[in-house]
Amino acid sequence: MVGINDLKKINFTKALPDEILEKISTVAQLETYDEEAILIRQDQSQHLIYMLVSGRIFLNCRAGSGQAYTLDELSPGHTFGLSSLLDNSPATYTAICAEDSTVITMASAQLLQLFKSDYAAGYQVMQQVVEKFKKRMNRHTRLFMESLSNHPAIG
Amino acid sequence: MVKIEDLKRINMFKKMPDDLLEILSREAQLNIYGTGTTLFSVGDAIDTFYLMIMGQVALKVVLTDDIDVILDNLQAGRSFGSSALLADARASYTAVCQEPCEVVTLHGPRMLELFETNKALAYHMMTGVAGQYKRTMDKRARMIMKTLDEHPELKLRMQDLDELTPVY
Repeated sequence: MVGINDLKKINFTKALPDEILEKISTVAQLETYDEEAILIRQDQSQHLIYMLVSGRIFLNCRAGSGQAYTLDELSPGHTFGLSSLLDNSPATYTAICAEDSTVITMASAQLLQLFKSDYAAGYQVMQQVVEKFKKRMNRHTRLFMESLSNHPAIG
Repeated sequence: MVKIEDLKRINMFKKMPDDLLEILSREAQLNIYGTGTTLFSVGDAIDTFYLMIMGQVALKVVLTDDIDVILDNLQAGRSFGSSALLADARASYTAVCQEPCEVVTLHGPRMLELFETNKALAYHMMTGVAGQYKRTMDKRARMIMKTLDEHPELKLRMQDLDELTPVY
């Protein structure tokens, strides 16, 4: 269990009301990981949600050719692994600690159980997931269009 | 009103409990659209959520004056216009029927009213929409990675590659 003040430091949860944070805190744990610890492996199923409290994490992606790309470098406050709330599809990236890191973790199965016992809380969290996914999807579309407009066959 | 059996043909409703499908069936309308019908355009305020029973709808955006890009061709079972279930949302693509289409619609503002009184319905609908967004995001990320793989020089010209990662 973690305190709700820890959850208020996380971008994804900071706007949620205290009564929901209280419930979420009961299924959350604070963990420390060493530099180079792998939290999520690309192409493997994921079961945990991660919220970075301190440290730094790289998200890497290996393309079909074997070429590896570092897509993002996460700083404290960021959340990843939310997709595990939705299905068992494999991770699209590898998450690796770039330095010793402290992370809040939650088992997605426990969180889903909590939502089923309190649909109002579940709705509020899921609504936030949808809004964030929608913004991200629109950015994906923009990035895809950018890659197309730079494509040799079109440019 | 539409039959529950029709709603069960929609991917995002496959795990929804029957009592909630009953509520949706009373709110839903069945519509037939002809080939070439534009259901909404980029930038439109969206107040209808669409569920495909039959036919094909293209989701398009304009790349250049000469080129439209089809982001997706949706067929039976798919849904779109989920922005109607969010407050003040606008369309990020144009939806055009590619052939005669049978489509179930739900009125967004009415659904938002129902969500206020029925949180189980609200939760299940939002979970379905989130799953739909996730699948689309994953698909689009794979397309971008494939393009980068084939043309690594594009990486230098693309801004915000970190936007590919599902981080919040």
